Amino acid sequence: MTVEIEFDSSWQDEFLHRIDNDGPWGNWDLFKLAVGVEKHLIIPEFEGLQAPNHLPNLTPLPHQLETAKQVIENMNGKAILADEVGLGKTIEAGLILKEYMIRGLVKKVLILVPASLVTQWAYELNSKFFIPAISQRKSYVWEQCDVVVSSIDTAKRDPHRDIIYRQDYDLIIIDEAHKLKNNKTKNYEFVQNLKKKFCLLLTATPIQNRIGEIFNLVSLLKPGHLGSETAFYDKYKRDARSLNDNEHLKELVNKVMIRNRRADTGIEWTKRHVETIPIEFTPEEKELYQAITDLKSEGDWVQTSAFSVMTLQREACSSREAVFYTLKNMLQKKENPTKEFEDQIQNLISKVEAVPSNSKAEKALELIQKIDDKVIIFTEYRATQMYLQWYLKQNGISSVPFRGGFKRGKKDWMRELFQKHAQVLIATEAGGEGINLQFCNHIINFDLPWNPMRLEQRIGRIHRLGQEKDVMIYNFAIQNTVEEHILKLLYEKIELFEKVIGDLDDILTKLDFGSIEDHLIDIFGQSCSEGEMRIKMENLTSMIDLAKDMQKEDSHAAAGNS
Amino acid sequence: MQQLEIHNFLIRYFQANECEITENGPGYLTVQLTIELDKELMNRPFYWHYLEKTGGIPNPMKLTFITNPQIAPEHIKGETVHFGSPRLHQIFQSTKKLASYIRLYENHRNGQQQTPLMPWLCMNVKISYQCDRKRDIYKSIGLQLINGQMIEDFHERLQKVQLTPKIPDYSFTLSPLVKPKSGMSRIENYLKAVINEDDHTWAEDARRRWEQDLRLLDHFYEDAEEENESYETEKKALQDQYEPKINISFINGGLFYLTDNAV
Repeated sequence: MTVEIEFDSSWQDEFLHRIDNDGPWGNWDLFKLAVGVEKHLIIPEFEGLQAPNHLPNLTPLPHQLETAKQVIENMNGKAILADEVGLGKTIEAGLILKEYMIRGLVKKVLILVPASLVTQWAYELNSKFFIPAISQRKSYVWEQCDVVVSSIDTAKRDPHRDIIYRQDYDLIIIDEAHKLKNNKTKNYEFVQNLKKKFCLLLTATPIQNRIGEIFNLVSLLKPGHLGSETAFYDKYKRDARSLNDNEHLKELVNKVMIRNRRADTGIEWTKRHVETIPIEFTPEEKELYQAITDLKSEGDWVQTSAFSVMTLQREACSSREAVFYTLKNMLQKKENPTKEFEDQIQNLISKVEAVPSNSKAEKALELIQKIDDKVIIFTEYRATQMYLQWYLKQNGISSVPFRGGFKRGKKDWMRELFQKHAQVLIATEAGGEGINLQFCNHIINFDLPWNPMRLEQRIGRIHRLGQEKDVMIYNFAIQNTVEEHILKLLYEKIELFEKVIGDLDDILTKLDFGSIEDHLIDIFGQSCSEGEMRIKMENLTSMIDLAKDMQKEDSHAAAGNS
Repeated sequence: MQQLEIHNFLIRYFQANECEITENGPGYLTVQLTIELDKELMNRPFYWHYLEKTGGIPNPMKLTFITNPQIAPEHIKGETVHFGSPRLHQIFQSTKKLASYIRLYENHRNGQQQTPLMPWLCMNVKISYQCDRKRDIYKSIGLQLINGQMIEDFHERLQKVQLTPKIPDYSFTLSPLVKPKSGMSRIENYLKAVINEDDHTWAEDARRRWEQDLRLLDHFYEDAEEENESYETEKKALQDQYEPKINISFINGGLFYLTDNAV
């Protein structure tokens, strides 16, 4: 046996010194306590997890514990955590970090996350795991603090970059690691040059669909695990579509990656009930909408893209305030506006002013009174948000606003106000990731985003682990408008609302044809007739259906293998 | 450590440091710190510095700890401590720091009879086996400094002996034949011998994992023409991660003067 034994001699020198000086000597009671403490802190076995015993505020789920154990015992602390959305990757990473810290194997830690999540990560590590994580704000933090959370964009810039390279990190955690799939980027290079003793890469989107991305991510974590770049691409076709094409490669990747699927966790999810509520415009609202729609065919409007007409249309479906705000902006931003342009805007503004009420808001009020419980209203527009708050207050209903741009403390404060004092939360963005609103189970989609992922995030705020009731989703759509087309032709057709979180991102990554939002803008903006629009929408939905079928086959295949 | 153990631990710690426990209720306790302990725990050097410069009246803090939120009365405000909380960890460190070295005498009941006390060297240590995983072994070794007798579980055996910091009347200590310094190296050699006889497949396994990853790394960089910086970094990282090491660190220890058959 040739393991080097290190014997700490500093104790001995001091001891001899005290013998010579006849003290000072410690207190027997404290002496016994110190031994007692040390016996409690001892790690009796190489295997098993100590961390859960130290975390009274946290009850990890079985799959989270199993993942932490796997990473430590079988993956030697280097892993890609790729659970489906909503299964708690952050908890898994926290458990692993805590375990290594308790065992004294990790002291210095660098956590790189998207800028918007820095505070939240630091907060969760402190409150759930009692890990004194600091969010990086001053450059001395790199050197003086042991556990630092930062955005990768800050970290890779001077002067931070060089200071970071000088640190001796024991563990590096990277959230949203799928952004590192391209090995030609500065971010990739920055991470590649970090010394990675233990390393966790967290990714929400499944990466197993593109072979090059897999190679890059795995090579970042464990260079050589998939061979050298040339050897790798000699062996596997660069354009191979899926990992499933090759059993051997799949096996190799599974040695460094854990992906828990919702279905395997055995967690019961509550149901989603979706109700579409068709709403009719008042004559004045209809007139405003029509006036905006007519702009498309008017020649004078050529300077303006189809995009802003569509924006105005969508806003008209939300509130007159939203339309007004945009019109005012258009007028202000335009340099040297022509007389015609000004007239046209003025004409629209007069139409806005002619609208006396808001059909949707009235419906929302009625619904909220009927529900008689907490409700979250989502709208795309700030102006609508402010209007709704005023309108509900007029009718004796208390509400709080919520925006993605709020600082962490304000978000928490608003959440608390909503939970304890208000009936309604009016949110403009689902961007409040990490804010838990599971105590509420009613969502009103006052208007609809054109990006299905955004919609999924909205629902995901309340339909997540911890939600005990079935979730009720009410979709407002004004009849005979773009809104109704979106709802009927897209969302209902792909059964989006019935899906559980996570299925959707799988589906969307399978579709290799760009963002759905772009397609919608194209369909609504460029179609010359109703018929053309309908056909294009049909095409889009059948693409999505195709991806869905592909996914079903995959999961069948996976089930068959296991 | 269960919550009740933590509660009792805190009481013992503060009492050993001569702080008054002003309240001791279900699931909580309040303690009046002494000046010394305020300086030790509260981390407010500027306050103490200011006070010493201006000659003001020292006002050490009062702390309330909640050791079990479930049974503590609701109106009690304080720091919740549990195994793993930074405050408890700080107090653990402080305990170790304040009691690293000790010298005690057996408080024997031999009355007026002249009693010789034998010198014992005690070392309580933690042995850590470390690679990418870790386990610890606690050992308490006592070495009699006259005849060289060595025994394990020394600290545990001391628990049934009455001890006092002052030499009792009618007692005298025998001078050690083995000097403390060479006593310490005897214990060191003994510990190393014990370690050498242990099963170390863990280290072989770690080396195998290391070797495997190293091979992969070489393979990854085989196309690279010249010396590559990230290759060297990764190589060093693998060494830090896997290289098996054994550390012997001290918990505490000291000199004990005991009657002939005390342990």
